[in-house]
Amino acid sequence: MEQFDYVVLGASHAALEALRAIRAHDSDGSIAVLDREARLPVSPTVLPYVVSGKRPEDRIALRERGWFDDLRVDYRQQAHAAALDSAHSRLRLADGSEIGYGKLLLATGAAPAVPPIAGLSDVRFHVLRTLDDALALREAGRSAGRAVVLGAGLVGMHAAENLARAGARVTIIEMRDQVLPGYFDATAAARIQAAFHDNGVEVLTGRRVERVAPRAGGCTVQLDGGDPCDADLLLVAAGVRPEVSYLAGSGVAVERGVVVDAFMRSTAANVWAAGDVVQTPSFFGDATPAGGILPDAVEQGRTAGMSMAGDPGVQAYPGGVSLNTYGFFGRRALSVGRDAPQQGGADWEVLVRGGEGSDAYLKIVLRDGRLQGVFGVDVLFDPGIMWELILRRVELGARAKALLEDPQDAARALMSGLWR
Amino acid sequence: MSATPTIAFDAARCDGCGHCMNACVSAKSSDAHRAQPRIQILRDDESGRWGIAQCRQCGDPRCASVCPAAALEKGDDGIVAWDGERCVNCLICTAGCTFGGIAFSAAEGHVVKCDQCEGAPQCVAACTRGALRYVTTANLYNRWGDLEDLFVPGLGGCQGCNTELIMRHTLRRVGSNTVLATPPGCIPGMGSVGYNGMLGCKVPVFHPLLTNTASMLTGIRRQYKRKGRNVTALALAGDGGAGDVGFQSLSGAAERGEQILFICVDNEGYMNTGAQRSGSTTYGAWTATTPIGESARGKTQDAKNLPLLMMWHGCEYVATASTAFMEDFYAKLEAALDASQRGFAYLHLYSPCTSGWRFPSASNIEVARKAVETNFAVLWEYRRDQGLKLSRDIEDPAPVTEYLKLLGKFRHLDATQIAHIERHVAEQAQVLRELARMHPREGRQVVGHQSDLMAVDLDQ
Amino acid sequence: MNEVVEMTAPVAHAASGRIAPDHDAVVARKEPKILVCDANEAAAWGVVLSRPDMVAVYPITPQSSLAEYVAQFVADGVLDAELVEAEGEHSVLSVLHGAALAGARTYTASCGQGLAFMFEPYFRTPNLRLPIVMSIVNRDGITPQCVWGGQQDAMTVREVGWVQLFCETVQEVLDTIVMAYRIAEDRSVMLPVNVNHDGNYLSNGIVRIELPEQAEVDDFLGAPDVNWHAALDPKRPMGVDPLTGGATGPGPALFVGYRRGHCEGMQNALRVIVEVHEEWARRFGRRYAPLVEEYRLDDAEYALVTIGSMAGAAKDAVDAARERGEPVGLIRIKTLRPFPLDAMVAALDKVRAVGVVDRAVSYGWNSGPVHQETLAALQYCPHRVPCLSLIGGLAGADLTQAHFERAIAETARLLVSPCPREPVWLNAEDR
Ligand SMILES: Cc1cc2nc3c(=O)[nH]c(=O)nc-3n(C[C@H](O)[C@H](O)[C@H](O)COP(=O)(O)OP(=O)(O)OC[C@H]3O[C@@H](n4cnc5c(N)ncnc54)[C@H](O)[C@@H]3O)c2cc1C
Ligand code: SF4
Ligand code: SF4
Repeated sequence: MEQFDYVVLGASHAALEALRAIRAHDSDGSIAVLDREARLPVSPTVLPYVVSGKRPEDRIALRERGWFDDLRVDYRQQAHAAALDSAHSRLRLADGSEIGYGKLLLATGAAPAVPPIAGLSDVRFHVLRTLDDALALREAGRSAGRAVVLGAGLVGMHAAENLARAGARVTIIEMRDQVLPGYFDATAAARIQAAFHDNGVEVLTGRRVERVAPRAGGCTVQLDGGDPCDADLLLVAAGVRPEVSYLAGSGVAVERGVVVDAFMRSTAANVWAAGDVVQTPSFFGDATPAGGILPDAVEQGRTAGMSMAGDPGVQAYPGGVSLNTYGFFGRRALSVGRDAPQQGGADWEVLVRGGEGSDAYLKIVLRDGRLQGVFGVDVLFDPGIMWELILRRVELGARAKALLEDPQDAARALMSGLWR
Repeated sequence: MSATPTIAFDAARCDGCGHCMNACVSAKSSDAHRAQPRIQILRDDESGRWGIAQCRQCGDPRCASVCPAAALEKGDDGIVAWDGERCVNCLICTAGCTFGGIAFSAAEGHVVKCDQCEGAPQCVAACTRGALRYVTTANLYNRWGDLEDLFVPGLGGCQGCNTELIMRHTLRRVGSNTVLATPPGCIPGMGSVGYNGMLGCKVPVFHPLLTNTASMLTGIRRQYKRKGRNVTALALAGDGGAGDVGFQSLSGAAERGEQILFICVDNEGYMNTGAQRSGSTTYGAWTATTPIGESARGKTQDAKNLPLLMMWHGCEYVATASTAFMEDFYAKLEAALDASQRGFAYLHLYSPCTSGWRFPSASNIEVARKAVETNFAVLWEYRRDQGLKLSRDIEDPAPVTEYLKLLGKFRHLDATQIAHIERHVAEQAQVLRELARMHPREGRQVVGHQSDLMAVDLDQ
Repeated sequence: MNEVVEMTAPVAHAASGRIAPDHDAVVARKEPKILVCDANEAAAWGVVLSRPDMVAVYPITPQSSLAEYVAQFVADGVLDAELVEAEGEHSVLSVLHGAALAGARTYTASCGQGLAFMFEPYFRTPNLRLPIVMSIVNRDGITPQCVWGGQQDAMTVREVGWVQLFCETVQEVLDTIVMAYRIAEDRSVMLPVNVNHDGNYLSNGIVRIELPEQAEVDDFLGAPDVNWHAALDPKRPMGVDPLTGGATGPGPALFVGYRRGHCEGMQNALRVIVEVHEEWARRFGRRYAPLVEEYRLDDAEYALVTIGSMAGAAKDAVDAARERGEPVGLIRIKTLRPFPLDAMVAALDKVRAVGVVDRAVSYGWNSGPVHQETLAALQYCPHRVPCLSLIGGLAGADLTQAHFERAIAETARLLVSPCPREPVWLNAEDR
C-alpha cells in the first residue's frame, strides 16, 4: 500500500490553498493530491463563463502540472476516492487501490442537489458543477428555444443570463419569494430581478414545480397552480449537497456537511475537511447561510493546511461570512455579511440609500454600531475590506454615515488607518 | 517565492495633494480610455488623517487565491500580475483583497491594480512631500534569499533585539568559507558558539577572549593564506570587546593591515553583563554603573567615536550602518567583505538594545531609524583610496529629542544635558561633513596610513 | 649576529662538556656546523630548525635579541615563517592561538612583564591544548624596577598548565626547543611548552655550540600535528570552546572531563619527555637528563637542588667540596611541570639533607618556589630529609662558586642541627 504523510482529496480551491499552507511549513513531508477528474483542476465558479463562451475550456485551469511539481506534490488525476477507513488511516479508490495517509484532507466540494420532484428522473436535465456539465450546457444552449431554470441562486441566475444571451426564451422558477435568496436582501433582489425582466427573462418567484414529464425534444414542467411550461432545456440549479458519498461508515461525522472544529478537524483522528464539503458554521453564530462560496473554501483550506502541518501561526477559523460579487447584464451587485432580522431589536440599525428608481442601491446593516452587512447594486465598494471590518468587529460610530455616502472611500480610509 | 519592493506611505507627510493619483492616471491611460488610478489617497474625516489604498503585492496574495480563473499570479519579480486574457470579471478578487488593492474600473471595464510601473512607480516620483517611498529592500531577499542561513534556529537573543538579524544576514552573505570569532558578549550569549556540547552555527566559530579577537583572527587568516587558502576571518564583536578592553588588538591588527572583516555591533555598553557603561555609551545615559541618584544624572562623558578612530588607522574600509537601512548595510557588507581580501575592513553597526536602553521590544528598527534621521548615528563609509563619503543627506536632520524621547535610558535628562547631547551630535555631524568635503588627490599629502593614499588635502 | 662558522673537526658533546656523549648511540653523521653564540641566538636557531609556520614577537629585555634574530632569519629567507610583529605580548600569544587552531606550528618568546601582560591568553593556552612552544628568557619581576634575570616570571605561572623545561646550557637551549615540539605535539600530551633559559646568564653568555643538520631535525620532528583535536577550519566546521553549563545539564561532567584530560596529558608528558630526550641522544649524540639530573649523588650524604643555568657554578662548587672530602651531590630539575615526582623522590632518597637554591621567591611561604616543590616531593620519601631554602640570583645578581660553597656549608649543617625556617638570602651581603 502506498503511504503519504499528507493526502489531499480534491484539487480545487480548498485543496490548492491547503497544499500551499502545508508546504509553507513542512518542506519535506510527502504529499499526494487525488482528484477524480481526468484533467487539470477547474473552478466551478468559472463555469458560467465557459457556458457563455467568454472563456475557452483550455484557458481556465486553476493550476498547471508544473505548479504541483514545484511544490513536490504527487498530483494524480482519475483518482476517485470510494471509501475511507479512518481507523486504519487508509483510503480506497474507485479502481480498488489503497492509499495510506498520515493526515488526510477532505476537499471534495459539493455536488448539485437534485430536488425530489416527481418525474425528474425520467427527463433529460442539466446541472452545472463540472466542466463536462458546462460543455454539455453550452452545447444545448446553442439550440434551445425555450429553457427553464429551476432555482434562482447564483448558478441559476448566471446560467439563465447566458441562455438568454444565446437566444433562448428563459424562465426561472424559484421556490422562495425573491431571487438570490440568502445572497441579497429583498430590495436588491428586486432590482436584479427587474434587470432580468427587462432582458426578456421570465422570473417566477414563490413557485414550486410539482412534476416534470418528458416531451419530444425536451420536457414539460408542471408548476403549482397548474401552469405547464414547456422546455427544450431544463437546468436544475436548486442548490448543492456536500460530496460525501465515500464517507459512509468512515467514522467521519456528517450532518449538513462534514462536521469540523475551528481548525477544520473532523470527528475522525487525522482527518481534516475544508470547503464546500464542510458544514460551515456562521461567523455570526446564527442561522445565516454560511459556506458554499469560494472565499470560504480558500480560508478553510488555509486553516486546515496550517493545522495539518502543525504551523504554529494557525488561527481558529472565525466562521463563514457570506460574500458575493455578482455581475448581471453588465451591472454589478455586491453583498457581504447578513441582513437585519425581521424583528431586530433596538441594537440593530439599517441605513439605506437609493430606493426604487434611483441609480444605485446601498444598504448598510449595523448592530451595536458594528458592521453586519453591506448590500449594494450598481454601487462599487471593496467587499474584502467590508469583510475584514465585520470580522474585526470594528465599531463604526460616526463613520457609518460616510460609509453609506461613499462606501468605497470611507471603508478604504478606515482600512488604511486600521490595518494597512 | 520572490520578495517585492514596496511603496511605503507615511501618513504624517501626506497632505492629500493627489499628485500621485494624477501621475498614475497619466501612466495607465491610453487613447482608448482614461484610467482609474491604482493608488488612492483618501481622507478619514474622523481622524483627519490621510489614508491610502494601493496593492501591496502581498507575499501570499489572497486576490490570487480566490481567483477562479487563475488570472492573478505573483511573478518572479514579486509583482502580483493580472492577466486580462484569463480574467472573467467575476470580482471575487475584490472580495479576497482586504486592502482595496484591486478594484473594478468602470471606464476600463475590468479590475485594475498597481503593477509598480515596471520598477519605476510614477506615483512615488510625483510625490513631493516624501509621503510615498519606493522601498526596494526586498530586492536583498531576491538577491540573497537563497543563501544558506548559517546560524542554527533559535538563538537566544532578547525579544526585539536586532543583533540576531545582523548575525544571520552577515553570515549568510559572508558564506561558509569563514572562521567566525564572537568575543564574549551578547552574540555568544545568544548561543552563537554553542552550549554544553551543542553548536550555534555551521561555520567554524569560537569564543576569543574579550580582548584578543583581532589577534586570533590574524593568526587564522595568515595561516590559511600561507597554506594557499582564502578563508574569510570574520569578527562579530560588541563595542566593549572592540573599542574598550579589546581596542589594543583591534588597533594592532588594523595598523598591520591584517585581512580581517571586523564587525562591531554597538549597543553602547556592556549589555550582556547587565547594561554597564562602556566607552561608547552616550553622555547622560543611564547604565547600571552610571545610575541616576541624588548627585548623579547618568554618564558624564561623551562616547568615543570608534569608527572614526578606525578610519584614522588607514583601514582598507570603514563604514557605519544601521539595520533600519538594510540596503545600505548590505552594500557596505559587500564592500567590507571585498576590502577584507586586501586589508582591514571595519563595519560599525548601531544596535539599539531593547533591554538595556529601555524601550518596547517592537520598536527596535524605529529607534535605529530615528538615530540616523536625527544625525545621532551618521551613516558614512571610508575607502582608503577615496576618503570618506556620507551615505545619506545629513542636512536638515530631525531634532535629536525625537530620538532621545524614545529611550528610557534618557528619561531623566534635564535641559542642560539635552543641550549637551544636541551640541555633541551637531559637532560630530560637522566633523563628518568636513571630512566628506575633502577629496583624495593623487600625489598629495597622505593621512592615515603611511604606505597608501587616503590622500586628504590637509591644506583645505 | 654571529656568523655561522663551518668547522672541520667533529665536536660531539655539549659546550659545557659535563655530560659525556653516548658514543655508542651516535649515528654516523655529517660534520656538524659549529657556531659561537649566546642562548638567544641559539634559541633562534632552534626555531629555524623546527620550521614553525608562524612566529609572533614583541620585544622585551632580555628577550629582544631573540626576536631580532628570528626576524632577521625570516628576512634572510633562512626561516620560512609568517612573522607577526604584534602590538603587545597579549596579542603575540593570541595570534598564535588563532594560527595553531588553523594548524600552524608556532613559536614565541617573552619574559617578565611581557609574560604578565600575556597572562590572559597564556592562562588559556594549555586548556585549549595548543602545542605552542614559547621560550621564557627568565627575568625577575618588578617592582623595584629591574630588567635583569631571575625566575620569578616562570615560577609565578607554574600552576597554569604549561609544560615547563629549564635549560642549563646554551646548547641545551637549542636542543630543547626542537625537542619541545615533539613533546608538545605528541598526541598523548597536546600541551604548550615553555623552554626556560636564564636571562643574562644564558641570554648574553657566548659559547661555542653545535648546530644540528636541518634534514636530521626534519626527520626527528616530522610534520606539524597541531590541531587535529580542535580546529577552526571551514573544511571541518566545529565550535571551539562553547560555553559549558555550570551546574546544569552535562556541564559539570563536561568540565571535569576537560580538567582530567589536561592532568592526564601532563602525566603522559613525563613519559614523552624521557622518550624524546632518549631519541635526541641517539640521533644527535647529546644526552640530557630529561626530568631530574643527578650529579655526584650516589655516594653523597647531602645535596643541593638547583634549576636552570646556576647548575654550572653549583657543580663547580660541588667538585671543589668533593676535593675537600665533603660528601655533597647535586640535583638539577630540568622538568618542573609536570613535576617529576618519581625521579625527584628517587634522587632525594639518596641523601640525608638538601638545600634548595631558588632564583625566585614564594612570598607567602617565606621560601623559594622550588623549595616548596621539593618539600612536597619529600612527603613521598621513605625517610625524613631536612630541606633548607636558599634564595639567590635575583634580578641579575651573580650566583658564583662562592655562593654555592656557602650553600653547601649551610646544607651540611642540617646533618647536625635543626633546619631553620628562614631562607638563606645568598646575595644579602654582596657589594
Ligand atoms: C456555477 C457556479 C458558480 C459559482 N459562482 C460562485 C461565485 O460567484 N462566488 C463564489 O464565492 N462561489 C461561487 N461558486 C461556489 C464555488 O465554486 C465553491 O464554493 C468552491 O468551488 C468550493 O471549492 P471546494 O474546493 O470546496 O470544492 P470544489 O470546487 O467543488 O472542488 C471539489 C474537488 O474535489 C474533487 N472530488 C470530488 N469528489 C471526489 C472524490 N470522490 N475523489 C476525488 N476527488 C473528488 C473534484 O474533482 C474537485 O477537484 C459557484 C459554484 C458554481 C457551481
Ligand atoms: S490586490 Fe490585494 S490581495 Fe492582491 S496582492 Fe494586492 S494587496 Fe494583496
Ligand atoms: S475579476 Fe478577474 S482577476 Fe478578479 S477574481 Fe475574477 S477572474 Fe480573477
